Amino acid sequence: MGTIAFSNVSKIYGGTGGVQALAEVDFHIGEGEFVALLGPSGCGKSTLLNILAGFEGATGGDVRFDGGGVTKPGPDRGVVFQEASLLPWLNVWDNVVFGPKVQGIAKPVYEERARRILDIVGLSQFTEALPVQLSGGMRQRVGIARALVMEPRALLMDEPFGALDAQTRLSMQELLLDVWQKLKTTVLFVTHDIDEAILLADRVCVMKARPGRISRDIPITLPRPRSIDTLTDPAFVGFKAEIMAEMRGAHH
Amino acid sequence: MAAITDTAPVAPAAQPTAKASPLPGRLRKLALALILPVALVIAWQLAGKDGAIFGGALPTPDRVWKAWMLWAFGNPGFGLNPYAGTWMANVIASAQRVAAGFALAIVVGVPLGILIGWSKTVSALVDPSIQWLRPVPITAWLPISIAIFGISGLGAIFLITIGAFYPIVINTTQGARDVERNWIRAALMMGASRFDVLLRVVLPAALPSIFTGLRLGLGIGWTAVIVSEMVAVKSGLGYVLWDAYYVGRMDIVIADMVSIGLLGYLSDRLIVAVEMTALRWRRMQSFNQ
Repeated sequence: MGTIAFSNVSKIYGGTGGVQALAEVDFHIGEGEFVALLGPSGCGKSTLLNILAGFEGATGGDVRFDGGGVTKPGPDRGVVFQEASLLPWLNVWDNVVFGPKVQGIAKPVYEERARRILDIVGLSQFTEALPVQLSGGMRQRVGIARALVMEPRALLMDEPFGALDAQTRLSMQELLLDVWQKLKTTVLFVTHDIDEAILLADRVCVMKARPGRISRDIPITLPRPRSIDTLTDPAFVGFKAEIMAEMRGAHH
Repeated sequence: MAAITDTAPVAPAAQPTAKASPLPGRLRKLALALILPVALVIAWQLAGKDGAIFGGALPTPDRVWKAWMLWAFGNPGFGLNPYAGTWMANVIASAQRVAAGFALAIVVGVPLGILIGWSKTVSALVDPSIQWLRPVPITAWLPISIAIFGISGLGAIFLITIGAFYPIVINTTQGARDVERNWIRAALMMGASRFDVLLRVVLPAALPSIFTGLRLGLGIGWTAVIVSEMVAVKSGLGYVLWDAYYVGRMDIVIADMVSIGLLGYLSDRLIVAVEMTALRWRRMQSFNQ
């Protein structure tokens, strides 16, 4: 459940002679694996995620989710957007139950689920608040809750903490580690933050730009459960050095 | 301060309503708003001689007021003053026509605007026709209206619907086109059908634009009702306006004009009040609360 396979995937924007965003991407994510896509802006990491989410089509190659071809978005792949992208006219509760509601899930079932998940992300007290009344971190908690409430087989996160201040980002990373430890959902996590990638992921895939491709796939063998203390672990620093070298090489 | 937990809301959720402005502030606003009209009325009164200005062409405000009061509350009696006591009936006649035509324009214009904004096919099919019918002024529709509906209130409703339809459909279209891509993506990701996306994302996201269209459309609706009543209906404020002019009752003409202005203003306030409630989320995002 939740396996992802890209084979020979390419993406060209603007027809023939256009910009090649992705070239021959081959990679695989196993069940329950947490994989970070790391790279500079313009390297195609978000394009990769959008193709898997079903928001964009690939120009060539094959994308499979649990063995089936990806054709459109769906609740089996919960997406967390960079700016949360909550529906601003709905309060926290209505944003979170939007998915189950339109899917026709029975009210008692989804209400119980929504309450449990809002409790996990620490928003039980704010169900009536509108997104505009929340801080960036809280908004992203709602974004995560709205994806988790659908019990997706994979969570696709597109730089979800990129717009947050450093302190909030740390608390969100801890929250995500905590949630993932409990649920063990497959996660594809797009980021340009090296620390974040190493802290969270089982594997860090470093991407290069022009054309976008995965240049290295580095397993992060740090023990779990991890916390923000992991950030100062000597082994962590070792991985960081390795990845920085790879990224520096990727620029030349 | 919460350092790592980050659960402090920017604005307290318990009191989300915008503060009502304090009474002195409201009084001040009212006073400011009244300065110009009061000054105009005083100047007009002072410029008059024997109850008239412009060499007798127009009555002074006191005469207008007297005529208006008789029009509003006078006893119809034995028909010595054909206007006495008929104000309310005419106001209701015009207002009902505007309400009916405006409602019809909303029922057609909003769904159509959403579809045009959402679907390139519908847009290509319908939008060009709307754009080349739109420059035809509502007055040019009068002959057709009379030909179809005769001298009746239905013709007025027809003209109001046409007049209000364009700003409603155009603004709704714009609102539906401008919906943030990620809102739609998020809804699709959560399993929404195309219909769900239209109803639960595109429509609410377009509401701010739709309300702009409603306000413009209602203004045109009042124009349309007066024009058509002047020409093709035997009741309402437009009918009285033209009738009073014909018999030289300029006091009634002016009272009628002020009545139209008041009704237009009050109906606009009504829409703004609905908008304030429906778009609370939007208001809280804006700088000028």
